[in-house]
Parts: sequence; structure tokens; C-alpha cells
Amino acid sequence: MNGVLEVERITKRFFGLTVLDDVSFGVKPGELLSIIGPNGSGKTTLFNVISGFLRAERGRVRFHDTDITTWPPHAIARRGLVRTFQDVRLFAGLSALDNLRLAVQQHQEEDLLGRFVWSPKVRRMEREATHRATALLEEFGLFEQRHMRAGLLSYGQRKLLEFAMAIMPEPEVVLLDEPAAAVNPTMINTLTEHIVAYNSAGHTVVLIEHNMGVVMDISHRVLVLDSGRLIAQGPPEQVRENPLVLEAYFGR
Amino acid sequence: MALFLEQVVNGLTLGAYYALVAVGLALVFGVARLVNFAHGEFFMLGAYVLYFAYGVYHLPYGLAVLLAVLGLAAFGAVFHRLIYQPVMHRVWHVQLIATLAASFILANVAIIAVGSTQRSAATPFVTDVFTVGDMHVAYQRLLVLGVALVAFVALQQFIQRTPQGRAMRAIAQNREAAQVLGVDLAQVTRLTFVLSAALTGLAAGLVAPLYLIFPTVGSLLTLKAFAVVVIGGMGNATGALVVAFIVGLAEAFGAGYISIEYRDAIAFILMIVVLLWRPLGLMGRRVGI
Amino acid sequence: MSLGRAPVLLQLGLLVLLVLVPQVIQLSYLLDVLIVTVMYVGLALSYDLIVGHVGSLSLAQPAFYGIGAYAVALLSTRVGWPTVACLAAAAIIAGLLALPVGIPSFRLSQYSFAIGTLGFATVAQLVAQNWIDLTDGPMCVTGVPKASIGGLSFATLPSFYYFVLAVVIGIFLFTRRLVGSRIGRSFAAVHENELLASAVGVSPLKYKLLAFSLSAALAGVIGGMYAYYVNVVCPTELSLFITLNLLVILFIGGAGSPRGVVLGAIAGTSLPELLRLASSWRLVLFGVALLVIINFFPDGLEGGLRRIERRLARRSTSA
Repeated sequence: MNGVLEVERITKRFFGLTVLDDVSFGVKPGELLSIIGPNGSGKTTLFNVISGFLRAERGRVRFHDTDITTWPPHAIARRGLVRTFQDVRLFAGLSALDNLRLAVQQHQEEDLLGRFVWSPKVRRMEREATHRATALLEEFGLFEQRHMRAGLLSYGQRKLLEFAMAIMPEPEVVLLDEPAAAVNPTMINTLTEHIVAYNSAGHTVVLIEHNMGVVMDISHRVLVLDSGRLIAQGPPEQVRENPLVLEAYFGR
Repeated sequence: MALFLEQVVNGLTLGAYYALVAVGLALVFGVARLVNFAHGEFFMLGAYVLYFAYGVYHLPYGLAVLLAVLGLAAFGAVFHRLIYQPVMHRVWHVQLIATLAASFILANVAIIAVGSTQRSAATPFVTDVFTVGDMHVAYQRLLVLGVALVAFVALQQFIQRTPQGRAMRAIAQNREAAQVLGVDLAQVTRLTFVLSAALTGLAAGLVAPLYLIFPTVGSLLTLKAFAVVVIGGMGNATGALVVAFIVGLAEAFGAGYISIEYRDAIAFILMIVVLLWRPLGLMGRRVGI
Repeated sequence: MSLGRAPVLLQLGLLVLLVLVPQVIQLSYLLDVLIVTVMYVGLALSYDLIVGHVGSLSLAQPAFYGIGAYAVALLSTRVGWPTVACLAAAAIIAGLLALPVGIPSFRLSQYSFAIGTLGFATVAQLVAQNWIDLTDGPMCVTGVPKASIGGLSFATLPSFYYFVLAVVIGIFLFTRRLVGSRIGRSFAAVHENELLASAVGVSPLKYKLLAFSLSAALAGVIGGMYAYYVNVVCPTELSLFITLNLLVILFIGGAGSPRGVVLGAIAGTSLPELLRLASSWRLVLFGVALLVIINFFPDGLEGGLRRIERRLARRSTSA
């Protein structure tokens, strides 16, 4: 097992319906992996299982050889495996800066006293967090909005902020659930650039996407799910030609 | 042995009493998603109706009980309109607080109106005793059990067989889908309140003669009913029914054999123990009847 | 987020007023009202931690308040501990007791926390009434000495007023600091969206328990202060009516904001006290007031204030 993330024989059922059927794959470090498949094929459920929001009936999930199958979501996030949600989820009542500071504060080491007392150590961590958050916001063109409540941002801005939140603690592996959904072409380019940049810096990215242009463009490898089963995997060009994949998308 | 059997009957009577009250609460939670803190006050009102009808105006007992049931049914509709409907689409703790406010209003209006003195509406059935060997059981207790059983069967038939009952179950299981099919949420929730109040009114009519009546009699009852509903699985009326009898028996034996003072704590201790072991309640959060 | 000096001046003005009142008004009745009001401010601030900041409806505040009162009463009379030790013990005992109550109650759904805390409050009341060996039951714990720190005794009304004022100001500053801190941020995150909070590494259970425990500890301190005030602690102190009062206060003032809570507590406590209503009428009035507020003023005073502030801000930035 030498992938950074290993998914082994995951099976998930909802009220008798098999939503994930014996899914197994590995993710190599530094890879940009895309997961595609028709609606209802189980992609988000797979993310939910990996990130601890759902428990599979069978199978294991390993992160750096550690079995994280039964870990609660916050523990998995703190370990370095972060995910985003399909419906953009932010803390609408907090400012953009606060959203980012929140995203990283769980990853910083603190002692018990530091949590209550505004010790020099905590003050330093806050400064570092604010520094990095501001830099990120600048990079994403959101500097002007840094004090704005996240709920007041435009849809595209929220998407960017959500991605920024995900990479703020510099997780080793980030799972992005349809980052380009319902976004205009210019924004798609911006997002894709940031995603590729993050990946080029050595982090592993796993993507769920419907936008084939994006998928074919940036992925190192593509996984195809259909009705809960993994039906193909390989480099983009190869998957595109795969008859099983064509059948899944265009009918039987 | 006789003592043991007497405690069994006591426990079952208590169970029937709690069941009549708790099932109403579970129904309101299951269908209207409401944590109704004024539920015990329904009982208190029913008890006072009984007291005035039977104890003061000397109407026949059966008629007095009927008045309690019908009066409470009407009150259920009023409560629905005044307390529930205005906050129907608000977040659940606002609804809870609205019922908490209603609970205090009702209890204290009662204090102002009729005073805090404890009253009694005992019927002859309370003192008349049915004897088998060494065992003595007041007829009233058997009355409680018998009538409650009939009521539960009737309720079950109503919910399973009638269109209104079907609508209640639909709303309980999937509110949006039911509404899309044309089910009127206001109407169904009103019916639920009416049923819930009527059941509690019946409980009052049957049980009040056995105990004392006073304005704050509802508060402890509300809490116990909630404990029962939580243990049984929120919204699960069958669960509430079963657990009510378990709690009734536990209290009867606890009071008889362990200690009187902490009898009232039994329900809550049970609740905490069950929640620790089975967070979803004994019968799971299967919403519906 | 404050603009101009107006709000700060007003708050300082209020503080000065609160400090000066006993010098001006010598009526012991009015001082009593003030003391009770200030204690309710403290209690409301503690309650706001769990209800306003983290968003979990607890109904157990009277229990922690009562536990604090009994802790002080018993430790000062039976073991002879000094004031500060008793108050610290009250806070610690109440805070620790919140954990075994909170852990099972938070597990099920949101509803079970409300009901679980209510059950706890009921059991606490029963214990206070029936565990005669510990609490003397309905005979109450009597003879609680007056509070004193160092050589300074708070036996007179004005001196006790300053004592309680200092403590509650401390609580206010603490909660305000907490709101702006990293922990406060985590509270807000858990309140707004638990799933998302998990996704960024915040454990909802941990922070809810933290808020609950802090809330309990502070309520315990206020309970302890009460014990030093009336020098007698009875089981009736754990009355569930307190929760109603607190809910009215939070709704009047606006939950989640320390300033709003303070205003709400002042309005919600001093007015009824001054009006000298019989307790039943007062409760009916409170119940009706709460219903009216829920239905017509969902944001409370704090919401109204914020709206005014925003309007003022808009005017000043567009200038």
C-alpha cells in the first residue's frame, strides 16, 4: 500500500439500495485524480465515506496506512484530509477572513491554557493565520471583501472562498466536490488555475466533476463510477474512449 | 404475593395513565415536530373540568369525563391556532419556547382563577374495591385500564384505516412530499392537537379521581411524558405506549419496594441510562405511528 | 464593528450610573432590586453562552445555579471555607457536573439536549428536596455567613452590591472576550453549521460541551453569590421559573451578544421587580410578553440596536 489514500472494497447501502458497490482504488501522492460518472453514481457518497461523514457497511479507508474508516470527520480533517461540499458551504455569518482563520485554527498546536488565555503563542498563531489568510484572499482576488460577511459574497466569490478555506491549512489531500458547478467560464478558468497550482505545489487533489473540459484538461488520472461501481480508471484519453464509460453516460 | 399483584395493577394503571398522556405528546411531535411543553397543562385543565363537572355540579361521572374529553379537544384546536400556528414555520426551539410560555400562562392563570388549594374529585369507584383473595384493587384503576385500552384500539384504527390518519402518517414521514400531494398541513396538525388533547382529557377524567388536583399538577407530568417519549424514540407513538407501561411498572415497584421520595426521578434516570446505551431511543427514531 | 464613540460612551455612562447609584439612593428596597438585577445579568450572560453562542437550548440553568448556591452554603457552614474558595468550588462543581449531563444529551438529536437538561433540572430539584442529610431538604441550609475577602466584609447592602457588580462585570468581560476569540469563532461555526464545522476540523461535541460547562460554572458562581446575599438556601431556588425569566431576557435582549443580554436582563428583571407584581401575575405577564416578543420582535433589542447602528454607519460612510 503505497498510495497516500487507499480506498478498499467500500460498500455502502441505504435502505436496501446499494449506493457504493465494492469500490477500491488508490491515490498516488501528488496526483490530480478526477472522479466522474452519471448522476446518482455515488460520487458524493464516496467522498462522504472517505471524509467520515458516512460509515460504510464494508471496506476500509486508509490515509498514509492509517485506518481512518471509523474516524469522526473533524479528526480526519485535522489529519490533513480536507473536503468541500457540493452546495457551497461557508459560515455565512462570519467574515471571509474569519472563515479562513477558522479553517486553520484546528490545525495549529495549542495547549489547554492557550485556548483561554491570550498567550504570546496564541497571539503569534493568530498573526500567522491572519497573514496567510490575507495572502490567500489576495491571491484569489478577494482582498477587498476580507471583512465582508461570507453570506454577502457573490456565488463565484463564495466558490473561491470555499476553495481557499479548503487549502488554508495546507492539507495533504483535498477532496473537491464539483468545484466548477454552476460557475461562469471565466470563473471556471480561475478556479482551475488555482486547483492546478495547488496540485503542482505537491499536494494531492481528488476532484468530482461533471465538466468534461476541466476533467480532461487537468487530470492525471480519471476514475469512472456508475451505479456505485468503479467501471474504469486510467489517463483521461484512455477513459474517454472506453466503451463502458460511453455506455454509462449515453445509455444502454 | 397479594401485595406484588397489587403493585402490578398499580403499575399497569400508572402505565395506562402515562400512555394516554405520552402517546398524545408523541403524536404531536411526530406529526407537527413540536416539543410541546404545555402538554401537562392539558391534563390539568381536564382535571379541573372533571372537578367542576363532577365534584361541584354533580353531573354523572360518565358525562363529566365526556365533557373533559370534548372540552380538551376544543382546547386543542384553540391551542393550535393561538400557540402553534403563529410559529409553525419558525425554528424548533422558538416553537418550544412558545409552548413553554403557554405552559406558564396556563398554570398561573389557573392559580389566579381557582387558587392553589388541592382539590379532590374522587368517585365512588376509588374507594369501592374489587377483591380477589388477599388482593384489593380499586374499581377506578380497572376503569382506567379498560377505557385506556379501548381508546388505544380506537386510535390505532383511526390512524391506520382512515384518510385523516393516513394524512397524519404521511406528514409525519415526509412533510414536503405529503404537501405536494395536496395534504393540508394546518388541518392535519390541528387534528393532531385535537387528538392529543382529547387523549389527555380522557386521562384526566379517568385518573384525576385517584389523585389530588392542583394548578401545577401538569409540570411534572410533562417531564415524565417527555422522558417516556424520548426513551421510546421521538415521534414513535407505539414506542411511547410500550415505554409508558414500563415506566409505570418501574415507578410502582420502585415506590413500593425502594423509596417513595425518589419515585418521580425514576423516569429521568431511566431516560439518561437509555440515552447512554441507545442514543436513538429504544425503538429508534422511526417517525410515524 | 462599532462606529463613532456613541455606543462606547453610552456603555461607559451606564457603568458609571451603576456604580454611582448606591451613593445616591439609600433606599434598601431599590438596592435589593439592583442586586437582583445585576445577578440576573450574570446569570443571563452564562445562559447565553450555551443558548446564544452555541445554539443549544438548555433548560438546566436553574440546576447549576442551585448547585452553586448549595455548594457555597454547605462549604461555608459545614466546612468553614472562605468566600473565594467557596465560590471557586461552586464554579468547579457546577462546571464538572455539566459533563455527565451533556455527553448523553447531546448525542441524540437536538431535541434530546433540551429534554435531557430538563430532566436533570427536575432530578436536581428532587435531590435538593429529599436528600435531607446533605441539604436539610425543605428546612433549608441556614446560617450562611456574609461574604468577605481578606479582611473586607460585604455585610452591608451597598458593599454587597459592589461585590456582585464587580463579579458580574468580570463575567461580562470574560464572555465578550470569549466571543471575539478563536473559541468564540468555533462556537459560531458549530452554531451555524455543525457538518461544515466538522469538515474544517472543529468537533461539535467538544465545543458544545465546553460552552455548556462554562455556562454551568458561571451559573454556579451566581448561585453562590445568591447564597451569600440571602444567607439561606432552599430547594425552591432550583425553580424552573428561572428558565422562563432567562428566556424572556434572551429574547428581549437578543441572544448571542453580551451587550444585548445585559440590556435584556436589566429590562427584564428590574421592571417586574419594581412593579411589585404577585408572582402568579408576573409569570402570566412574562409568558404573554415572551409570546409577543417571539411573534413580533424576533430580533430583540440587540437586533434593533444593530439596525440603528447600521443605518448610522451608512450615513457616516456616505458622507
